[in-house]
Amino acid sequence: MRHIIALLIACIATPVVAQVQGVKLDTPVELPEFAFANELGEDFTDADLDGNWTIVMFGFLSCPDVCPFTLGNLEAAVAETGMRVRPDNVPKVTFISVDPDRDAEVISEYAKFFHPEFESFTGDRDQINTLIEATDSFYRILDPDHTGYYEVQHSSSVSVIAPDGTLRAKLQPPFDPGMTAEFLARLQIEYRRELSQ
Amino acid sequence: MIRSALAVMFLPTALMANELTVENPMVPLAPPGAMAHAAYFSITNAGEGPRQLIGVSAEGYMMAHIHRTEVKDDIVSMVSVDLLEISPGQTVAFEQGGLHIMLMRPMGPLEEGKTVDLTLEFADGEKLPVSAKIMPKAGGT
Repeated sequence: MRHIIALLIACIATPVVAQVQGVKLDTPVELPEFAFANELGEDFTDADLDGNWTIVMFGFLSCPDVCPFTLGNLEAAVAETGMRVRPDNVPKVTFISVDPDRDAEVISEYAKFFHPEFESFTGDRDQINTLIEATDSFYRILDPDHTGYYEVQHSSSVSVIAPDGTLRAKLQPPFDPGMTAEFLARLQIEYRRELSQ
Repeated sequence: MIRSALAVMFLPTALMANELTVENPMVPLAPPGAMAHAAYFSITNAGEGPRQLIGVSAEGYMMAHIHRTEVKDDIVSMVSVDLLEISPGQTVAFEQGGLHIMLMRPMGPLEEGKTVDLTLEFADGEKLPVSAKIMPKAGGT
């Protein structure tokens, strides 16, 4: 009986949390090799995923509304997470531009603006496509208008990658700081529990 | 005599302007290198007839557009808004993650505390000046 009640509570409680701030993947997803860089010569590769939690967000610099909004919210969410987890478990936030043609020359400054430890990179189209596909993300560069300006569509959710380099969850807007931090802290507890089994 | 004639000439414009009020116009400070960023405010139509916002211009930018961020099935798109009807008594919020004024290609650097001068254009020919204050960065904190 107790199990049934627990199950009922789980059924009622889980979808609410899942819908609002994040979705934990049923099975962790292994990520392929990848390499991105910025104009300062810094790089971000699959090796950088080892040993720390990483949040990867895709976007572009000509994105007036949702990209700054998301990075600002992630800054608040990560600060909240820092109050719930050990300092070495605070996720590193990495922004990947899917628009290297316009962004490659200035990419390093972008994410730093939101937090000094946030990093931003871009890369070759095949590298972008590799990581987009591996994280079940999406982007599309639309046709330019008469001025040459083009829009970019992209995923609104961001990817959460565990210290073993596997994709574990997606965070979704509105990235409420407290609830996102709660979701991430819980994800980390579950991760450690899985590792110890 | 001349003064009263002028007053009559300008009266309709002044009355119309009073019907539309803009509150909390702001521009979050944009990250370095951003080719586009956004302005936000809320606009209320206190008049008796509907008003149609059909365009915007911004001083110091190559272009400005009325845009709406839409999220559908986890995909973010920006939709250009050609006409925004504001009903009598209605307040429309331009806010992060929704309607916004997209400011494209700033001609100079932005400074917190300064302003961006916008002009909202309506279908009846009215041009409503809005001075948006440059605020600290976007987002949660």
